Amino acid sequence: MMKEKIRQHFNMIFADAPKTRRAIDLKEEMTQSAMDKFDDMVADGYSEADAYENVIHSIGDVTELFPAVEERNQLVLSEKDRKKKALLTSIAVGIYIFAGAVFFYFGADGGNPEFGMVLTILLCIVPTVMLVYASNMYPDYHQKEEPDMVELYKAAKYSSNKARAVRKSINSIIWSVTLVLYFVISFISYRWQVTWIIFLIAFCLQAIVKLVFELRADEMTFIDTVKK
Amino acid sequence: MSITSDILRGHTEAIILSSLLEQDSYGYQINKDIMRKTNNTYELKEATLYSAFRRLEQAGSIRTYWGDETVGARRRYYAITDEGRKAYQGYKQEWQEAKEIIDQLLK
Repeated sequence: MMKEKIRQHFNMIFADAPKTRRAIDLKEEMTQSAMDKFDDMVADGYSEADAYENVIHSIGDVTELFPAVEERNQLVLSEKDRKKKALLTSIAVGIYIFAGAVFFYFGADGGNPEFGMVLTILLCIVPTVMLVYASNMYPDYHQKEEPDMVELYKAAKYSSNKARAVRKSINSIIWSVTLVLYFVISFISYRWQVTWIIFLIAFCLQAIVKLVFELRADEMTFIDTVKK
Repeated sequence: MSITSDILRGHTEAIILSSLLEQDSYGYQINKDIMRKTNNTYELKEATLYSAFRRLEQAGSIRTYWGDETVGARRRYYAITDEGRKAYQGYKQEWQEAKEIIDQLLK
């Protein structure tokens, strides 16, 4: 049924529109208008397919509608993405807890603490990747926001410069402490076959630091945009 | 884009106000009105029409109300305000001036 197709077309056009009363009214109004036109054309003797083509074509460039529809908040994730993000986060936390349990199981058993350590670190990689991915799920609002983009860019650049500097110093501390610990522990324990794991731990720490900074950066930009 | 459609699009709001001077109307009706007056040579794209409504409403040139159709879908009607009449007179005068200038330059 062609009329159903018209309705679907409007659903698609308005899929990204904010869920405000105005946007919903506007969609209803435009759909109705398209239906009226379709009916008139069919009554005038056009085929349904031709009428459909004409109606869709005469909708025009809908991007000019959306700034008028009002503040489109790019930072609000869609329902689907929010659920996905929540799911990712909870699974990641679950795996962290599981990794901790594995570590204690092998450690407390006295049987094979090295193996437990390696397994724990390997297990930690997956949730860390998941969290990094989840924190990057926000849409790229910088490119869509035309007003004050220069200011926004400057602010972002300034804060990210500062953040990057802090992050770099934390990283250098992590790696120098790691190196010292590696030699100290190795020479004391003489278990060179195991002690290299400390580098894996340092790597994990670095990933966590990166993650923390990214989360904070997200929050900061969010606050900035809300203030505006 | 041809010059004609560029100029027409630049005057979307004036065209809508002109149509509303005659009577209150709704989106599709206004577009039909425009088609009739131009012998089916010109019609507004829906997106253009409705974003112009939004701008006119924000400027206080038009107001809207829901029609009381007893059959079929309810329609949102648009009516011109006193503010809108003034805006329309302004548009019309500017257009007259622009037309005269271009006529003189393109002799």
